[in-house]
Amino acid sequence: MRSIKLNVKRYDPEAQESHYQEYVLDVEDSETVLDALIKIREYIDETLGVRCSCRSAICGSCAMRVNGHARLACKSKVVDLSANGDTITIEPMGNMKPIKDLVADMSIFWAKMRQVQPYLKAHQPPPEKESIASNAAMHNLVGAKNCIMCGACVSDCASLAVDETFIGPAALAKAYRFVDDPRETETARDERLRELSKPSGIWDCTHCYECVQVCPKDVAPMERIVDIRRAAMEAGYKDNNGSRHSDSFARSVKKSGWLDELRLVPESLGFDDIGAQLQYVPLAIKSVLKGKMPPIIHHKRPGAEHVSRIFEELEKD
Amino acid sequence: MYHHDVLVIGAGLAGMRAAIEAFRMGADVAVMSKVHPVRSHSNAAQGGINAAMGGEGSEDTWEVHAYDTVKGSDWLGDQDSIEIMAKEAPQDIYELEHMGVIFARDDYGRLATRAFGGATNQRTFFVGDITGQAILQVMYEQLMKSGMRVYEEWFALSLIKTDGAVTGVVAMDIISGDVQVVQAKSVILATGGIGRVYEPSTNGLICTGDGMALAYYAGAPLMDMEMVQYHPTTLKGNGALLTEGARGEGAYLITSEGERFMQRYAPNKLELASRDVVSRSEHTEIQEGRGIDGCVFLDCRHLGEKLIMEKLYQIYELALDFANVDIVKDPCPIRPGMHYIMGGIKTDTDGATSVPGLYAAGECANVSIHGGNRLGANSLLETVVFGRRTGVAATNRALSQAKLNGADEGSLIEEQRGRFRDLMDRSYPGFTAAKLRLEMGVTMDKNISVFRTDEGMRETLGIIRGLKEQFGKVSVQDKGKVYNWNLMSVLELEYMLDVAETIAIGAVARKESRGAHARTDFPERDDKDWMKHTLVYNSPDGPMIDYSPVSITQWPPERRVY
Amino acid sequence: MRYAYYPGCVAQGATPELFTATKAVAERLGITLEHLREASCTGSGVLQERDPELGDTLNARTFAMAEKKGLPLMTICSTCQGVMSQANFRLKQDAEYRAFINRFLKPEGLEYNGTTEVKHLMWVLVEDYGLERLRSLVKRPLTGVALAPFYGCYIVRPSKKLGFDEHPERDTYLEQIIQTLGGVPVDYDGKTKCCGFPILTMNRENSLIMAGNNLLDAKSHGADAMVTPCPLCHLNLDGQQADAARVKKTQIGLPVIHLPQLVGMALGLAPKAVGLNRHLVSTRRFVAKVPA
Repeated sequence: MRSIKLNVKRYDPEAQESHYQEYVLDVEDSETVLDALIKIREYIDETLGVRCSCRSAICGSCAMRVNGHARLACKSKVVDLSANGDTITIEPMGNMKPIKDLVADMSIFWAKMRQVQPYLKAHQPPPEKESIASNAAMHNLVGAKNCIMCGACVSDCASLAVDETFIGPAALAKAYRFVDDPRETETARDERLRELSKPSGIWDCTHCYECVQVCPKDVAPMERIVDIRRAAMEAGYKDNNGSRHSDSFARSVKKSGWLDELRLVPESLGFDDIGAQLQYVPLAIKSVLKGKMPPIIHHKRPGAEHVSRIFEELEKD
Repeated sequence: MYHHDVLVIGAGLAGMRAAIEAFRMGADVAVMSKVHPVRSHSNAAQGGINAAMGGEGSEDTWEVHAYDTVKGSDWLGDQDSIEIMAKEAPQDIYELEHMGVIFARDDYGRLATRAFGGATNQRTFFVGDITGQAILQVMYEQLMKSGMRVYEEWFALSLIKTDGAVTGVVAMDIISGDVQVVQAKSVILATGGIGRVYEPSTNGLICTGDGMALAYYAGAPLMDMEMVQYHPTTLKGNGALLTEGARGEGAYLITSEGERFMQRYAPNKLELASRDVVSRSEHTEIQEGRGIDGCVFLDCRHLGEKLIMEKLYQIYELALDFANVDIVKDPCPIRPGMHYIMGGIKTDTDGATSVPGLYAAGECANVSIHGGNRLGANSLLETVVFGRRTGVAATNRALSQAKLNGADEGSLIEEQRGRFRDLMDRSYPGFTAAKLRLEMGVTMDKNISVFRTDEGMRETLGIIRGLKEQFGKVSVQDKGKVYNWNLMSVLELEYMLDVAETIAIGAVARKESRGAHARTDFPERDDKDWMKHTLVYNSPDGPMIDYSPVSITQWPPERRVY
Repeated sequence: MRYAYYPGCVAQGATPELFTATKAVAERLGITLEHLREASCTGSGVLQERDPELGDTLNARTFAMAEKKGLPLMTICSTCQGVMSQANFRLKQDAEYRAFINRFLKPEGLEYNGTTEVKHLMWVLVEDYGLERLRSLVKRPLTGVALAPFYGCYIVRPSKKLGFDEHPERDTYLEQIIQTLGGVPVDYDGKTKCCGFPILTMNRENSLIMAGNNLLDAKSHGADAMVTPCPLCHLNLDGQQADAARVKKTQIGLPVIHLPQLVGMALGLAPKAVGLNRHLVSTRRFVAKVPA
């Protein structure tokens, strides 16, 4: 047994006010933050609002911010968080409105989910028996399918925090699950990739790894987003800055062994988007004045021919 | 006030499957659930779903599946229901596959199977060890696709009855705290199990027997409630479930000395005997001092890292997170733990209860597949087969009914509000509802568990009745409307105490050992006097007990040896 | 001390002051850097997006060069560190995969055997060089200077692949270094958030809001300057700061210092010698704040 302090952010829906409340209680070393919260609501303060059910990281109910990052409370051992008796801070998930105390309004999460048409679009009518598919193809989807819709990734997503229109990590990981399902029709897959390549889609992920870090089930949503980007580029959905950026990047590294920064920005923006290009003119002028413009002539690295060769061999492979 | 043809209460697999069928048939159908559908406890089913498909090199037939189920039930399962389930299983699995479930495949790209307890042939289809979750998610995908109304986080308070038939439900929108009336021509209860009646249990905190209590109050009998399953492999510490699929993949059960003790209890099926048998064996080993800290061990080491990571990843994580054991390297301490209730609301093979307009499916129902003991991977199957069938029957009834007369919304709502006010106005009695629940859970686990005695069961029945009296004093401290967990937990406790009482009554009455009901004072099965179902009815004088015959089609009782 | 040195593209392109500062600081500290001039870009996550094996091959090539020299690899770019750590994680744990990748290195006479350690200068200072040793060389303590550490993403996430199991304090090194140099670390939420740079050309508005939010967060907590181990973060936080301020409809004016510049200042190097005159946001107030 050890005594711990929890600093819990409470939200009073009637007054629409938040404040922090400290609870001190004894817990076993094997117990989790959720165990502690349950003890509080069962025996110390029955007014504490918290969603939970399975207590074993399966149902996805109890995602909340623990010491600033989204986690499943049931998967967060108290000893790991408070080895030296430090106070543990508990808050509801971010990027969502609170309903009461630690209970967050997940409607944004489900709205994004519905936006990606989250269901298999297979050939109709279905075969008489099962569709034939390889175990590897099915197993490949288990990672994405492991998602328990807890909302942790959405809570801590950096892009969503600044832009509510972003589809977000959970829904994109869900979309990937269909993009990579061999049972999905070509037409449906194509439509998905086209839709997901639009603004607020795959290219608005800022690649910050926050969702990979906080996901309690190793879904690694950002890596699934990357998988969709690859599929979308391969399918030819390249009329966007993300694909142009990727192409420009690859071209310069393939040719010279390293990045030609001077070409990267204009090539990414697309030369027909004069407005976007002009936005970077002041920066370019200031950079030149400060003596920090990348070299105008982009020299090859020594050994660049091997880099080119590796590109070529892997493109063939 | 809201109106629908069909209202499904509960959004686990049985509930969603029923709703999808009603939707396909053109009914105006809605689903109500006290948690978001994907939080439902079907999630926790790990190992798989059974069907005799007789694929590549298999000699499996529906008859063998049915026989295994009958034998597993210790001849308490109704054989007409079991035949239906075994026959219809393959088509329902194909349908799940078509919806998008990513079942594991064999080398030919066909659906793959793993071995499971109590089964003559290998017939369990699976998605790693997250089969329930994988199916639940796909079912919810279908729900999103349909666009049907989901009353998300609504808690059912009372069934509305008009001229003897159920015509809707009074419910609380948990988020707003508002009481609402939803009318429906058919109501399907699919509210799952009763795990919280026990402490500990593998079940989630939401498994509080709501639907069973609602049906019981509405006049439908609960059947074979004494049949409560203890799962053989629950994790030391938090009691989490570790799938039977582990043993299906070849894991051993060992004593502290490393002996595979099942050879002494079930020489043929060993670790894959039925769950009641394995749990009793473990209990005996632990009692006789061959365990450590009240546990024996699940040994997965010889399965190898690759298999564990591909097929048993979730339990690998669970053991690591919650018991600090790496199952690749070490045996994992486990013990029998309360897991499932075979009993439930008595229904016919179309999910109809004895009350017109009221249907039930899934764990809350008892169509009598499992009888005295459920076989692993038959529960998921039950949810889809009988969820679908119940959806059909409830829709057929609803579509043939005339428009319902408007309910007296005002008085229905006021009745519930009055109840809430009473609970909130009471002064604090010095104990919380949680304390009463814990006492109930502990006594249930002590006396109506793996082995039972008359004395113990009577002690528990007495304690439950005492707790029901104390319940009259419980007060709600949270006076707010929005997300009032405190209020809900008290209402759930009331459901649970009544359900617990029916379990205890059924258990005390059944003077034999059958399936999960193993009495040390009546150690033998008694087919002459006790091959019959226990029914418990609610009456003004308290619970009333009655019995009904077991349906036998082609498998007369035999001695049960594994 | 000797390292195979991998400065990365940006330090040799758009943030030349980082390259200059690192060179000057390494000399002062007595760290010998053997610049791997033939090494290619790490792929920066962008090439990995196109073809993960391509990214791993390019990095295996760099690791093989360091391995051949028998030296650990040092970088001064968080993004390079993150990408190389992830590549190394895969290459080290799977010999079969490594053998596959080595097929592409063979024509150049290279082979990677999975022994190279890749360490950012920030890790080198704390884990290899030692903070006490660093403290003993401080000539101009940064007394009273409030410094907001800005880690960004790639050097802290995903922690599983960035050696946090062995070095759990890697997300406090900036603070530890700031304190060692005599400065005052500023605590604020934004320190491990995204600077916005990766989506600058995809969604300029969002990118600038992210940069602006982090800068304003640091500023509102009293920072005199921000310190970062990542030149890509620097490009957004310094290079785009004026535009970020415009999007946030406010003034910012917060200097953003590269980690080696900060170390150099404390070691007594002249501001120009560590390139503090080459920032887009004036560093004058920061320089003035450092006691002479």
